[in-house]
Amino acid sequence: MHHVVLERWSRRASGLHARDARVKLAATLVVLLLIGTTVPSHPLAFAAEFVLLMAALLVSRLPIAGALMRAGAVLPFSAIFALVSWLAGDPAKAAALVIRGYMSALAVLLLVSTTPLPDLLRALSWFHVPRLIILITQFLYRYLFVLSEQAQHMRLAAASRAGGRRAGSGLASRFRAAAGALSVLFARSYARADGIHRAMIARGFSGEFPASALNPVRLMDFLFLGLTISAAVLIRTAA
Amino acid sequence: MHIPDGFLSTPVWAALDAVSIPAIGLLANRARAEIDEARIPLLGVMGAFVFAAQMINFPVGLGTSGHLVGGALLACLLGPGAAALVMTAILAIQALVFQDGGILALGANLMNMAVAGVIAGYLPYHWLGKTRYRRAGIFAGAFLSLLVSASLALTELLLSGVRMPGPVLGVSAGLFVVSALLEGAITVSVVSAIERLHPSWIGNPVPLRSTAFVLLGVGAVLLGGIGFVFASQSPDGLQSLAERVGIAGQANAIVAGPLADYQMHGLASPVLRRAAAGLAGVLGIWIACLALGRMISRRRAA
Repeated sequence: MHHVVLERWSRRASGLHARDARVKLAATLVVLLLIGTTVPSHPLAFAAEFVLLMAALLVSRLPIAGALMRAGAVLPFSAIFALVSWLAGDPAKAAALVIRGYMSALAVLLLVSTTPLPDLLRALSWFHVPRLIILITQFLYRYLFVLSEQAQHMRLAAASRAGGRRAGSGLASRFRAAAGALSVLFARSYARADGIHRAMIARGFSGEFPASALNPVRLMDFLFLGLTISAAVLIRTAA
Repeated sequence: MHIPDGFLSTPVWAALDAVSIPAIGLLANRARAEIDEARIPLLGVMGAFVFAAQMINFPVGLGTSGHLVGGALLACLLGPGAAALVMTAILAIQALVFQDGGILALGANLMNMAVAGVIAGYLPYHWLGKTRYRRAGIFAGAFLSLLVSASLALTELLLSGVRMPGPVLGVSAGLFVVSALLEGAITVSVVSAIERLHPSWIGNPVPLRSTAFVLLGVGAVLLGGIGFVFASQSPDGLQSLAERVGIAGQANAIVAGPLADYQMHGLASPVLRRAAAGLAGVLGIWIACLALGRMISRRRAA
């Protein structure tokens, strides 16, 4: 599954993995701004931005084809609007929608597949994102794996009991069966949340996850950020 | 409908970031004092539940199926404030981990789904939840929640100059209504199933302690709308809309701030100016959030 693969990728080692999460976050914002403000009439700028992203992908030593494919998840959405724009007589806008959407997704993919999510959240909290939102996101991410696996088990179990394929079972009853499955999933999630909280209290939870301190930003990190910004400025001024 | 990056024009995403990110920050800082610590794991797990719930398919006939979107369900289960925070966490994870929805467009998606979608999902339940039309209230909430989110997203795309001819708009409006009806049906049947399992989990709507939240939401939607009109000076969809409504002239007269036309004077290339203005906008948003957070925590400490 997508998030499991990303989680594994983010634990690898490379020049890009080693950079500080705050610096990578800032660099990603710069690249997103660069891509987002490139106008359709500058195809060379799009090419240069793609080269920049490919360079980062090479440095990250992630599987290139796999990463390019995963960023393509945004394409169905883009394609619909691009098609509509194209039919409405604006082919340049259509191309820009697809290209900008795809390259922005690739930039974010590069960020999350070279930065473990806890580090990323710590960086966000350094940028003063409210603690409550960080905490909820942390819990959500942890139990995302567990609950989606549970949902899959339930789906498998229902399928092996021939749920939904029975002859004579009407749409309404299958609809109600799905609602029942969801309510069971809800009950299990609720019980799990309760259990988690008790376990946390038993271990002396003080309202704060023990966070290892952020490492100081090193010279290499500054160089990386400087390089990204100058590449962005160069592309913007040259194109 | 999660808007990816690269779809919204700079004025639109910047205006929405500037409105909804501080609004959520304000809400989080308020909630932090009010929320019982035991509920924090519950909120996270509920977010994960909404994710997992999308794996369970609801048959709609004709061989197709739909799934729960969940904004209204969360609003009924957790109350609007907490639901908005959970939706924020969901949208953040979707944008970061699943590349579903953009980072620069996060403010727009927050406005559509975490603020407007949750408020639209909660209000009918709040008004009808104690009467005998309770189920109708839940249905209406889920229906409205999806419809409001989707039409806001469509409006933002139109304002950004993504061209959509009349027939396309008609078809998408039809699709929205169908999926909104489906969301209503799913939410009602899931809520009834949960009530059969454990009646106390879904309480009656509590009186809105935070009228401030509703005001904030309504204000944010209004501000967002005004933000569009005032911020964009580019000759795209927004301009033609403003001209049609007849406020373009007034808007041009009013906007004369340093970021007017989203360009900063003193920089040579027009493209560079736009980029610099965008960057300044992001910085401005960040500083505003920071200042707001400081102000609130200081007031609470005093």
